[in-house]
Amino acid sequence: MSEHAEAAPSSMQRPAGFARRAVGGLGAVALDLGQTGRELWSVLLQTLYYCFRGKREPGAVSYYMYEIGNRSLFFITVVMGFIGMISIYQAGLQALRILPDLHLMGATYISLLIRDSAPTIGAMMLATRVGAGIAAEIGSMVVTEQVDALRMCAADPIDYLVKPRFIASIVMSTALLIWSAFVAFVTAYGWFGVTFESFMNLSLVRWEDLGTGLCKCITYGAAIPIVAGHAGLSTFGGSEGVGWATTRSVVNCCLAVITLDLILSASSFLLFG
Amino acid sequence: MLRSGPLNTGALMALSTAATPKPRRKVKPPPSSRRFVESKGALHTAGAAVLDIAATAGGMGLLLGRITARTVTLKIDRDELFRNMYRMGMRSVPIVVITALFVGAIAVIQAAPFVQRVGAYGLLGWGAGFVVLNELGPLLVALMINGRVGANNTAELGTMVVTEQVDALRVLAIDPISFLVAPRFIGIVVTLFVSTVFTDLLALIGSAVAGHLLLGVTPTMFYRGVTGGVLNEWDVLSGIIKSVIFGGIIGLSSCQFGLAVTGGAPGVGKAVNATVVASAAGMFVADYFVSFAM
Repeated sequence: MSEHAEAAPSSMQRPAGFARRAVGGLGAVALDLGQTGRELWSVLLQTLYYCFRGKREPGAVSYYMYEIGNRSLFFITVVMGFIGMISIYQAGLQALRILPDLHLMGATYISLLIRDSAPTIGAMMLATRVGAGIAAEIGSMVVTEQVDALRMCAADPIDYLVKPRFIASIVMSTALLIWSAFVAFVTAYGWFGVTFESFMNLSLVRWEDLGTGLCKCITYGAAIPIVAGHAGLSTFGGSEGVGWATTRSVVNCCLAVITLDLILSASSFLLFG
Repeated sequence: MLRSGPLNTGALMALSTAATPKPRRKVKPPPSSRRFVESKGALHTAGAAVLDIAATAGGMGLLLGRITARTVTLKIDRDELFRNMYRMGMRSVPIVVITALFVGAIAVIQAAPFVQRVGAYGLLGWGAGFVVLNELGPLLVALMINGRVGANNTAELGTMVVTEQVDALRVLAIDPISFLVAPRFIGIVVTLFVSTVFTDLLALIGSAVAGHLLLGVTPTMFYRGVTGGVLNEWDVLSGIIKSVIFGGIIGLSSCQFGLAVTGGAPGVGKAVNATVVASAAGMFVADYFVSFAM
């Protein structure tokens, strides 16, 4: 027993080589990722459970729909408007380098917009705005012990805090991302003298593309509150902890969007071609 | 005691309601305060928002002027600068690597249907390369750095303001701008610049791998598409210039929002939220004007 107690510090004091440190660092990252993934999975399962079996708080979902949806409308509209103008301008300039023929530009742009760019870039924006907001709110509640008070009142924080945001976010993210596609379409029209008939060309849009886009909207809308809620609920410490939780929420939400985009885009390409 | 002091209607009302038995219905607020609440119409909100934005923009301008003055006269704490650069840069490496590889792969997956339809496999390097180097790479890495470094910076500065550490610095005759703000600002700009250069390389690797796996475009063919002559140096350079501008926007807004925190832990959370949103919107607007100017 005493030998073990003495052996532990001596092995700790041994100077670690570069290889050992590198492997140790990688292992720590892998363990951390695994732990976070498991916790996220558990939050998702609990949220889904409470969606069907939880208590209903009247007005909560519509309140969060207003907070997540209407409050982000201005931000999303401005950003997606600029995105539409930037992408059509750059695409047009690049296309003109190869061949001076822009009659397929509208069709290509709309297809890309529906399949990927509107849902994903819009969701990155929502991840920043909504993800930071959810984590800051829940994190402040954790730090000021309001979440403990909820537990004392036999209200599960996931049922009371995460579930209404989850439902509200799925509905409003889908609506906002469809709106963002519309905004990016409107601001992209009128560049390089392309006529409306030529720009409004839906020949390259298939039903599969529309399905992929909608699937992305719903997936992102579900992922953002789960990741942000997890970051908020695992807050510790004072005001510094709230800041950390918000930071982690934004980064994890953006990473979640990019990862889901890769997975969904790749599977859609492999399935539908 | 109460009567001899100055007339305190709020305390008197509280006293009188405490003395009377508990009313069944909710007590209506006095008419004067209700009228004040009602007068906060759409115009009031819009005006308050405009004033708020103007105050923030003015604060950012002043802050930029002060940072520039300290930088030009070299009044920057060198140890803090290197410490911040190390902290911001090294800790962002994992997310930058993941983002870059994924962005490259996503660009290829999105270009794949068009490439297959036209059969222009040799142009994949050009298409994916342009999107990644000029637009998507700088923008998405800036968004990630905005979340990782910008938000963290606001949280740190905000916590320091809330716990009065910035005032303590002033008491010790240490200039908060040259000790806290300027090193962070320069650190963010340098971090984003270096991250973007890394991203350019890593995203091209990601694109090449995805193109090889999904479309059967060999890396050599991809490399020839990138360097084939359609894509010029200016496309790469403009992406890197954009990254410096984005870094400036993130640094300024995160420092400004961090220094303007009021109201404890919830205030820090709100400030972090505000800075992330403001930098993201600012980056897209700046991207538009920079794309046009170049």
